[in-house]
Amino acid sequence: MNRTVLIVGIVIVAAIVFVLFAGLGKDPAHIDSPLVGRPAPPFALKAVGTGETIDLETLRGKPVVINFWATWCGPCYEEHPTLVANARNLQPEVQFIGVVFNDTDDKIMRFLAERGSAYPTLLDTNGKTAIAYGVGGVPETFFLNPKGTIVAKFEGPLTTEALQAELAKAMR
Amino acid sequence: MIATFLLLAFLQIKVPDAAQFVGPPQGTPLAGAALERRTMEISAELRCPVCQGLAIGDSPSQMAANMREQVRELLSRGYTEEQILSYFEKSYGQFVLLKPKFQGVNALVWLLPVLVLAIGLVIVVTKAKRLEKTPVPVAAAVAPDAASEAADDPYLAQVREMVEKS
Repeated sequence: MNRTVLIVGIVIVAAIVFVLFAGLGKDPAHIDSPLVGRPAPPFALKAVGTGETIDLETLRGKPVVINFWATWCGPCYEEHPTLVANARNLQPEVQFIGVVFNDTDDKIMRFLAERGSAYPTLLDTNGKTAIAYGVGGVPETFFLNPKGTIVAKFEGPLTTEALQAELAKAMR
Repeated sequence: MIATFLLLAFLQIKVPDAAQFVGPPQGTPLAGAALERRTMEISAELRCPVCQGLAIGDSPSQMAANMREQVRELLSRGYTEEQILSYFEKSYGQFVLLKPKFQGVNALVWLLPVLVLAIGLVIVVTKAKRLEKTPVPVAAAVAPDAASEAADDPYLAQVREMVEKS
């Protein structure tokens, strides 16, 4: 009996240690997106400043980078120069789009005027587009291949290296 | 709902629709108090993605408010609870469900407590049966122990003396 209890105890402790060890090094805030490998939810939203309606479906045929951000998000300030610089280099072969939610036109206009802009910034007024894309916190960036399938999702501020690595998946 | 549709049409904007994820509504459109009650019930089952383990019904964040508003709108259009939970799950994954589904690794969450309880019961019953089978000679085993215990423990001896006197 004592041996049985010992073995059961060892198995339980080993299982707990395994689960804890497997969790080490994982970002608890990271959530695997079920949308990767699926068609991007379609949307057509008004661009801030120009008022032009940008329909995602009209952008088929080239990779698309959709960056969800907001002016109240600190890391978005950090990654903005990276996005603008890469958009200037890669467009029109790659289309960049910014989608802003829980924000206002005037704050976005001020942000873009101060920090530069190289691609359309669309206003998601009620956050429905962000919800459909499973956005948790901003910034989050989705990479679409020319067929309109989401091939990657990046959480947090992008660096040029990360952006190019994710974009490579959309170009395959 | 019609006002929302007209506003979106006027603004020439199109947002992703639940129908693309979970098909047409399969229930009865709700309104009034029933709509509010069901909105709160379903909001208690969905995790706020920007909070620490809070339901969207309990979170003050704007993201949770947006999600609650979407739940309300879907109920008003006749979407069922299953369809609404499925819609959010298709965007956020099972993470968004506060009550994990009985499938895959998640099944362990439901099974492990029952399994541990069953193992505990088996151990207790086995122990009890063994104790029943082992005969303990009361006179031989208890009396000498009690006597020697009383002899060793001055406090116990004092108590016994007081009891005998009274």
